[in-house]
Amino acid sequence: MKTDALIAALAADTTPRPSPGARMMRVLPLAVALSLAALLAGWHVRPDLAATLSSVAVYKTAVPVALALSALWLARGLARPEARARREWALIGVLIAALALALVWGLAVTPAARIAEILDTPDYTNCLISVPTLAALPLAASLWALRAGAPLHPARAGAAAGLIAGGAGAAIYSLHCPHDHLMYFFPAYGVAMAAVTLAGALIGALLLRW
Amino acid sequence: MRPSESLSWEALMHAANRGDQQAYARLLGEIAPVVRGIVRARGGALGAEGCEDVVQEVLLTIHLKRQTWREDAPLRPWLYAVTRHKVIDALRARGTRVEIPVEDMAEILPAPEGADPFEARDMARVLDQLEPRAAQILRAIGIDGDSTAETGEKLGMTEGAVRVALHRALKSVARLRERMIE
Repeated sequence: MKTDALIAALAADTTPRPSPGARMMRVLPLAVALSLAALLAGWHVRPDLAATLSSVAVYKTAVPVALALSALWLARGLARPEARARREWALIGVLIAALALALVWGLAVTPAARIAEILDTPDYTNCLISVPTLAALPLAASLWALRAGAPLHPARAGAAAGLIAGGAGAAIYSLHCPHDHLMYFFPAYGVAMAAVTLAGALIGALLLRW
Repeated sequence: MRPSESLSWEALMHAANRGDQQAYARLLGEIAPVVRGIVRARGGALGAEGCEDVVQEVLLTIHLKRQTWREDAPLRPWLYAVTRHKVIDALRARGTRVEIPVEDMAEILPAPEGADPFEARDMARVLDQLEPRAAQILRAIGIDGDSTAETGEKLGMTEGAVRVALHRALKSVARLRERMIE
């Protein structure tokens, strides 16, 4: 088949292709809503939720939400082949640097024995399993949306999808979890979000090639 | 749109995104020599037919990924990024490693139009592997130059069914080509 013939065939195909943004807007809210419904049905919400959300402990929900939203912004940039997404990367970098500082501060002011005590609860393992579970649907939705994109670096785009999902999963789980200490947040929420991000990168490397 | 009118690629793609087939055909026709120039400059070792395979792969990708171009952005950076990605990919799959600095892309001259028939090999093999009906539709529209309506009449299908089948056929072609070079 000659190239002119291919061009004629391509031009005749007027079926619009979905844009990654449009797909994301369609499926991500649905996936998050389903995960939230799963939490309400299977985990129950902590009884003092209203008080928690108006206290400093709201950080446990707000930080994952902020990470998910910036990852969403990053994914939007990475889906375009010509975009360098410098500002998007910079924002993620600033957030991670701030979290690293908070972690260092937490380690400095909390004795090791106290950290061991904080983590000595079956809830810890529970969290490490629950967050990725609640992140599964948002991860699938984000990756599917990004498949309509043209990311130059599939693993990075996959990692962005992973952080969207990990952030969403962690934010949802925080409505249930009663542990508010910073030294609980990092080993539990931090590790869980990092794991989902890594999973997104690995799956993305395979799934987001084009 | 008058054929003689000089329109920017952005304007043509904008019209194409709204279903203007003529504008789209013209845009692809203008893009093809540019892509061909880049492929030949980087992958000359593949020979003329091998290069044309890559050109067709790039055009197919442009088609299937055209929604990732943002309408308020210039088209060329997007086009170069897609082309570069596909050319590197295609050449790597064929055992040639290339480096293409982005800055060089705009300086490569388009391939001159010549007696070259721009026949490619891969597409013939892909058409053979395609479902017979899908290959028929591609041949009717591409090679015989039929419209979707005429193709529908010829094959006893509604025009809408031809459109859906054509879209699926092109996606299958992209998938088959991917598999073929792996």
